[in-house]
Amino acid sequence: MKIFVQGVGAVTPLGPTARETWDQLCQGQRAPRKIMASRLGKRDYYWCPVPAKFVSEAARQPRLRRSGTVSLLGAAAGFDAFADAGLKPAPEIKERTAIVFAICSGGVIYTRRLYQEIVTQGANAASPVLFPETVYNAAASHLAALLGIDERCYTLVGDSSVGLSALHFATELLAMQPDLDRCLVVGAEEADWLLADAFASWRMATTKEFFEVYGSSVGTVFAEGAAAVLIGRTGAICLSGSSAGQPFFSHRESAAVAVEFFERLHTEAAPDLIVSSANGTFADDVERVAFTRLFHSVPVYAPKPALGEALGASAILQVALASLALRHRQIPGTLDAGSKLRTVNRQTRAHSGTDALVSCVGFNQQINAVTLQVC
Amino acid sequence: MNMVSAMRRVFVTGLGIVSPLGPDSDSNLQSLLCARDAVTTVGSFDVSRTRCKTAGQIPDEWMKDAFPQRRSSSRLHRSARMVAMALHEARESAKRPCPELLIVGTTSGGMSYGELYYRRLLATHSRKGLARLVGNYMPQKPVLDALNANGLRIPTQIVANACSSGSNAIGHGFELVRSGLRACVACGGYDPICELVFVGFDSLQAATSEKIRPFDRERSGMVLGEGASFLILESEESTTARGATAVAEVVGYGMANDTYHLTQPHPSGIGPKLAMQRALRSGGIDPEEIDYVNAHGTATIFNDATEGSAISELLDDVHVSSTKSMMGHALGAAGAIEAAFCVLALREQFLPPNINFVEPDPIWKFKVVANASRRAPLRFALSNSIGFGGANATLILRRV
Repeated sequence: MKIFVQGVGAVTPLGPTARETWDQLCQGQRAPRKIMASRLGKRDYYWCPVPAKFVSEAARQPRLRRSGTVSLLGAAAGFDAFADAGLKPAPEIKERTAIVFAICSGGVIYTRRLYQEIVTQGANAASPVLFPETVYNAAASHLAALLGIDERCYTLVGDSSVGLSALHFATELLAMQPDLDRCLVVGAEEADWLLADAFASWRMATTKEFFEVYGSSVGTVFAEGAAAVLIGRTGAICLSGSSAGQPFFSHRESAAVAVEFFERLHTEAAPDLIVSSANGTFADDVERVAFTRLFHSVPVYAPKPALGEALGASAILQVALASLALRHRQIPGTLDAGSKLRTVNRQTRAHSGTDALVSCVGFNQQINAVTLQVC
Repeated sequence: MNMVSAMRRVFVTGLGIVSPLGPDSDSNLQSLLCARDAVTTVGSFDVSRTRCKTAGQIPDEWMKDAFPQRRSSSRLHRSARMVAMALHEARESAKRPCPELLIVGTTSGGMSYGELYYRRLLATHSRKGLARLVGNYMPQKPVLDALNANGLRIPTQIVANACSSGSNAIGHGFELVRSGLRACVACGGYDPICELVFVGFDSLQAATSEKIRPFDRERSGMVLGEGASFLILESEESTTARGATAVAEVVGYGMANDTYHLTQPHPSGIGPKLAMQRALRSGGIDPEEIDYVNAHGTATIFNDATEGSAISELLDDVHVSSTKSMMGHALGAAGAIEAAFCVLALREQFLPPNINFVEPDPIWKFKVVANASRRAPLRFALSNSIGFGGANATLILRRV
């Protein structure tokens, strides 16, 4: 059974839709950075916020009036994917659609505020408004309610590769459920100084404004955002391969695991484009080793120097960008690319290939990939 | 991937449980049979300013040997021990299969490390030890630690559908095996107790300062619990080929979103009713065939009202209990633990009890298994889970 990408959606620091984000990336634009002041850690971090006007339509939904940022972002991206597919979530469509949502940190802003209240004012001062929005599936349940989807709605959590795991989960649902026509896979993430501080403690985030990929790994810069991919049983771009992913138990073994995993996933057509997860951390070296070994002449596009690292949203955004690259026959240039990987695509250019690989090396011991093919 | 051509039978060939009722399935069985109350005063964080002060908690001594071979195991979150122990027991009881996939439900993962991180930032500017907290805080990390401890390197899917997570993990595993996409999967859930979630439920006034009394007319709310549980699900072919023994069969799974409110179930009970109807339809089972319902039964006014109405309407005078009355609500683990309890009930032919039960609510037609377990011939058991966001899930298991 073949599964196809029917529509892609996004809301990012560069644009309110996938299409506008794509145009900005192709023009070599980078997301504006702002300073996110650490309240406790004595450190400031840069981040890439999504302008409020990009989610103003979602924010007008009564259901989302008091919801967290992650829910607004997820809803905006989900609706954009439906629009891109030329569909409206009418009753006959919603009955045959499932949602799979990918989250890494989830409602971190409300979670931090709730715990701050508990610690500083006492447990009896904790707000009952905040707690429900801290639950991982809050964003998915808001979106399901907005779309009127009353059956299959899953939230998957994991590291920055979770989006690809969610996409595979969605393909499983479509393979198992003949009464499903399509599945909306959404990844969303909001940013908070606590998140940046935590990842900096873990040597994964930088206090600098920009980061290089495939160069000196100094850490990443976080971003807000969401992306969505609507998959179904017809379309022009086929989801030719997906996987539940592969764990690695130490950084030392991660490159070997990645090589073995990518090799296993690509038994059919070799990719002629790679959209990578490079983000200025150890992940860059893992990908570099695997790409050099297996795909030594395939151009690599890394969107995160332009958009920032949006964790749970990032892998789905990579899939959306790979779909747009195949659709528009174009590859954006990678900003701030270091010298360690020769095949990095540095300038926006035309691309006539038909097979794309989306690679993701997660922060926390997960590697995953999917392949797309023009049909 | 091939479209489902024929439905395969899905057997439970192994189970592992770590809960406040015991560190393994045998001790959990004994606790169920003797209606043990495992809810005690919370000791791991300050509860002086919360209404509720109790929870079902797993003593750390039970889990001290979860990682015997790892010197660095003291750095891991305690939930990693729960997961490792339950997964180990499940595999051992299934004669050590190598599952193709591990599907795990959770709601909060290693959240208490996140809490500790925040408190450390407040108390000091030193960053010593903070990396350990970040690395072990994320929900997938305890699962990966448990895989490593069990010598497994397999893909994982971490489902976070609030309190339905454990049931959804098992339900998805069931569908994968039934459809032939997988031959053997491990699936279940885990959740450790933590301050943020405990206070969160307290702030919603969902938690009680009294005993938890599901389906009682005077019920006043829930208490939290914790734990982990895993089932090994296998196709008939895999079970036979490995010489494993089936202890039960999963026959139905349904889920429903009531798309109503983030924390309150739809008052009509449409969510749990749809989930139960879909599970019955998926298994080709008539409502009258269900002998026992392990209810979600949190003992909150809203949950029991809606779930009770749905059960009454659909299953009439079936036997019902909420085992949360004994060990509290283990959130993402609850559905997995309760599915495992259904396996034990089917295997041993008994009805698990609903303790602290005083006065029935006359609006419901079903029979609460009040205060003591009892022997009963059981063929089909149904387990409900209801979560925030209107997430409802139902599993149906059959005796083999």
